[in-house]
Amino acid sequence: MSAPAAARFVGTSVRRVEDDRILSGRGRYIDDIRLPNMLHGVFLRSGIAHGRLTAVHADAARGLDGVAAIITAVELEGVAHPLSTRPDVPDVARPVFTALASDRVRYVGDPIALILAETRHQAEDARDAIIVDYEPLETVASIEQAEDPARPSLFDDTDSNLLYTEATDYGDPDAAFAGARVVRASFAPQRVAHVPMECRGGVADHHPGTGELVYYATTQSPHALKLGLSGVLSQPAEKLRVITPDVGGAFGQKAMLNREDIVVCAASKLAGRPVKWVEDRIENMTAATHARSETVEIAAAVDDDGAILALDVNLKIDVGAYPALPFPPSFLGPIVRTMVTGPYRIEHLRWANTVFQTNKASYGTYRGPWAVESLVREVLVDRIAHELGLDPVEVRRRNLVRMDEQPRKMATGPTLEGVMALETLERAAELIDQDAFRREQIEARAHGKLLGLGFATYIEPAPGPPDFMASVGMQLPDERAVARLEIDGHLTVITAQAPHGQSHETTLAQIAATEFGVPLEHVRVVHGDTQQTPFSLIGTGGSRAATMASGAALHATRAVKGKVLEMAGDMLEISPGDLEIVDAVVMPKGDAERGIPLAQIAMAAYFMGREGEDDGLRSSATYQQPPGGWSGGTHACIVEVDPQTGVVEIRRYVVVEDCGELIHPAVVEGQIRGGIAQGIGIALLENALYDEEANFLAGTFMDYLVPTSMEIPSIEIEHLHSEALAEVNYRGVGEGGTIAAPPVLVNAVADALGGASIGVLPMTPEYVLALVDEAGV
Amino acid sequence: MKPPAFRYLAPRSLEEALALRAEHAGDSAVLAGGQSLMPLLNLRMAFPGTLIDVGHVNELVGIREWDGGVAIGAMTRQRAAERSTLIDERAPLVAKALPNIGHPAIRNRGTVGGSIAHADPAAELPAVALALDAELVAASSSGERTIRASDFFAGYLTTSLAPDELLVEIRLPGLAAGHGSAFVELARRHGDFALVGVGAAVALDDAGAIADARLVFIGVAGAPVRAHAAEALLRGAMPTDEAYAEAAELAKDAIDPGSDAHASGAYRRRVAGVLAQRALREATP
Amino acid sequence: MSVEVSLTVNGVERSAAVEERRTLADFLREELGLTGTHLGCEHGICGSCTVIVDGVSARSCLMLAVQADGAEVTTIEGLLEDGELGVLQQACRDSHAFQCGYCTPGFLMTATELLVENPKPSESEVREAISGNLCRCTGYESIVQAILLASERGA
Repeated sequence: MSAPAAARFVGTSVRRVEDDRILSGRGRYIDDIRLPNMLHGVFLRSGIAHGRLTAVHADAARGLDGVAAIITAVELEGVAHPLSTRPDVPDVARPVFTALASDRVRYVGDPIALILAETRHQAEDARDAIIVDYEPLETVASIEQAEDPARPSLFDDTDSNLLYTEATDYGDPDAAFAGARVVRASFAPQRVAHVPMECRGGVADHHPGTGELVYYATTQSPHALKLGLSGVLSQPAEKLRVITPDVGGAFGQKAMLNREDIVVCAASKLAGRPVKWVEDRIENMTAATHARSETVEIAAAVDDDGAILALDVNLKIDVGAYPALPFPPSFLGPIVRTMVTGPYRIEHLRWANTVFQTNKASYGTYRGPWAVESLVREVLVDRIAHELGLDPVEVRRRNLVRMDEQPRKMATGPTLEGVMALETLERAAELIDQDAFRREQIEARAHGKLLGLGFATYIEPAPGPPDFMASVGMQLPDERAVARLEIDGHLTVITAQAPHGQSHETTLAQIAATEFGVPLEHVRVVHGDTQQTPFSLIGTGGSRAATMASGAALHATRAVKGKVLEMAGDMLEISPGDLEIVDAVVMPKGDAERGIPLAQIAMAAYFMGREGEDDGLRSSATYQQPPGGWSGGTHACIVEVDPQTGVVEIRRYVVVEDCGELIHPAVVEGQIRGGIAQGIGIALLENALYDEEANFLAGTFMDYLVPTSMEIPSIEIEHLHSEALAEVNYRGVGEGGTIAAPPVLVNAVADALGGASIGVLPMTPEYVLALVDEAGV
Repeated sequence: MKPPAFRYLAPRSLEEALALRAEHAGDSAVLAGGQSLMPLLNLRMAFPGTLIDVGHVNELVGIREWDGGVAIGAMTRQRAAERSTLIDERAPLVAKALPNIGHPAIRNRGTVGGSIAHADPAAELPAVALALDAELVAASSSGERTIRASDFFAGYLTTSLAPDELLVEIRLPGLAAGHGSAFVELARRHGDFALVGVGAAVALDDAGAIADARLVFIGVAGAPVRAHAAEALLRGAMPTDEAYAEAAELAKDAIDPGSDAHASGAYRRRVAGVLAQRALREATP
Repeated sequence: MSVEVSLTVNGVERSAAVEERRTLADFLREELGLTGTHLGCEHGICGSCTVIVDGVSARSCLMLAVQADGAEVTTIEGLLEDGELGVLQQACRDSHAFQCGYCTPGFLMTATELLVENPKPSESEVREAISGNLCRCTGYESIVQAILLASERGA
């Protein structure tokens, strides 16, 4: 007799667990946390970009109403250790600095003091009463200035502003370039800011009696934060707990050990009271991290048929005044180096990377941190097509690695497997209907209308193949998860992830509920509390969750299920292999009449125990990086450029991508659209701009332009599914949109202008109008 | 960020408001819609000793017929003005300009008088007041006076209001029926302050020639700029693209926009000319 | 300096003594414990703090609490119907409109106003109406579809 099929929740856009609280205003974000006897902390920050900090006159401020304490570097001595990049990172300059500026300030926004008061208003009033004396120093406001030995070094313990340099050859670039045609591109894109809608913050609660410190933090990496704080504050790890409430977006900005986190925790220790710090938007724009501050020169050796023989890439990165701990200045280059050949058949690469410090905010990981590789490569591919008089799709077609060539090692190390880049290109070209567009473009040109079509093809390591980490010089522990049967037969899944919009409470529940055989509502996903969750350096980031967290949750759940079936097998005197769980009932396969409710098994497990088990039934599992692990796709878009004003409008935007199977289709689409929106912002609107003296000019939303609903088109999305290479065929998708959108828009605008050379972002109307003039269209 | 401390006063009548304004002249700010002032307070970019909230002074609210045109109380919300059929009929350039101001939530609270008294050079309402030869009525505890729009806007965020005065009414002479109007802006995003914008109104005579033309620019100087020479050129001319192009050139000659992080003066000037032509074409009945 | 403020919030009369410089947003969040309204910028651009005051949307970070004296204010918490998600909220849930949830309160209040004024908006009308609310996660499409769905369902 046939049994009800076990409900399968995966592959459906089920109701999100998170929505109940989010839609009713019952989320609990950092600013919603209120503890008894709590003090409010605000930071006093440097108003100048570079100078000696000679005095902080805080006496008047200390005497104001409600002020409890004013903490400077002096008060932190002995409480918080000095900071620097980890000693085990090779070949990188590691200047030493403090959580609060001590001898110097090095960027506008550098934190100088934390003012603690009974109310936020009082703390800000006191801040206004503090007078800071500086001796201004010459500023280092660009990579060029950082390269100039005549400019001062930012630190006494480094003699230049060069932090790291590397140069490598893969294959034989000399031979490949010899006698070949060379096509070049260069890019000096702007600094951008992450701009999560929720700013950073933390509530530190140090208990004077026990010495325990609980830190509520807006973080995407709670264990890494705990590890960092433990070291800097000499806080024993068993007495330190990081708890992550709901987090309002991060995009990589909340993966750091912020200097502010250190100061706030130290402040709680010093004051003997809880301390809350929530930055305002000005601080978030000015003093939190920025990204994409790099310049690139790229050259390709090509043959007359458009085959790309070799690349020569010179990347210079400006990481700001302080490393964004725990990431060393040498973090980003190797990833860009590894990824720059992308899904293309390019065997030879000459690579050079230099990293500089400047009087600017720190460079933080931002959604697809290595994205510059796709930006310059895809723009170069279109440039190659233009110079050779070939169709950009054809150039890609000739150079993309085909499925029948895989598995194939990239010149830079990782193995390409299951990469359907070529298929996504063909489908995107079909969807956008190139031929029809070219006819339309010619017709439009005749009427003075400028239409353009661009393509961009990319891959992202989501999480990448097992040999990816070695290629970029990183080592990450395998992902872990725990599954625990509760006394009522429900299931708790404890993940190392720290979601901030990724819907893991839902997607991991879908996987666990499907595997276990219970209703979706019987599964609860726990995250973000270091006291409960397994260790992970990353938390949520790097597009690893879909594969790694899912795999770990799946295996942990499967292990608990195995124990349940064993117990039930004993009780029913049936082999566990003949049992199944359907809708929370353990039964012989196909025989619901003889089933035992899961709750009964759970009760037995808790009351009677099982040999070798802790209470109840609990299993942990790790999941190792499986083969394949690449997501990717092709973006295609059509723009219209107003030839009189330079305004760019997106007429059509198409995405064909492959991220394997979809756990929750709406979640996947949301990630793609959100990523593209940030990419459009990068291409057309956003600029975390400094002037020539490193004064920051984009501190408010009046100057930093985040796209609104009017700037983001309705994006057409199609999914391809490569065949599973591993048990878990879900792959990450969070970063691709932000990676591919800037180059696709550059290529479309360039095409609208008959092949213009674009080397700057954002493409403001003024910039585009100048290109229109140059192109003579 | 939280506002600094201030003394808060909420007069219930115009007389009371004017008395307070006189008493605290020089160290008070007027809170009308708050859409411009509150950001300054929250960002601690303004430190008025006293805040005079005129939100309860009902005499300042209202839209009425005035001398063939329309008079708008200073505390009339922009959203109410947007919905007013009287304004739509008698001052359609206002109706065209209003939807460009920010977003509905801003227009729900923001006031017509507040925008005009704030005098941001990229704001639409000051430009419309200038284009329509508005009369701004200012009151103080010593009486009332009428200031012509051309004398009102003195420069960046500066008007000719005295420290003890309040703007109480904006009187807009009616444009003869048959005027077309347009307000065209270039902003980086929808609803942003314009990089440059143009308001235009055109009326034709029975022969189809231009009987009246109004042309005003925002974002090109410290205050809105009326293109008098261009208007004079257009009067009597036929409404052709060539005439509009010539007028735009003349208008461009009269402006010298400054540069900032968003756009250079040269770009603003060039686009001002482009938008002038587009606005004139759209405003042509 | 402090002043007495009395107003109706989500149908309930509330009063408190507040500092004159207290914004409505902070008053709702701190004095009244209604933390559903969020602060994203405090300079009136992001829209996360949007509430309804006397029937129309307002950025609560740009109002002083004392300006809301005597007013009727609705926040996201007030959209629940007998403790359950209202029609608009359900449509958002069914359309998977949001991700991190931080911008959500502002969008819901803006959409509430829109659907009262214009019960059957077109897609472009919806897009324009929400253009004063910033979202960094979604790319807006899911929010637009959710509001259209709510309108179909008679929100």
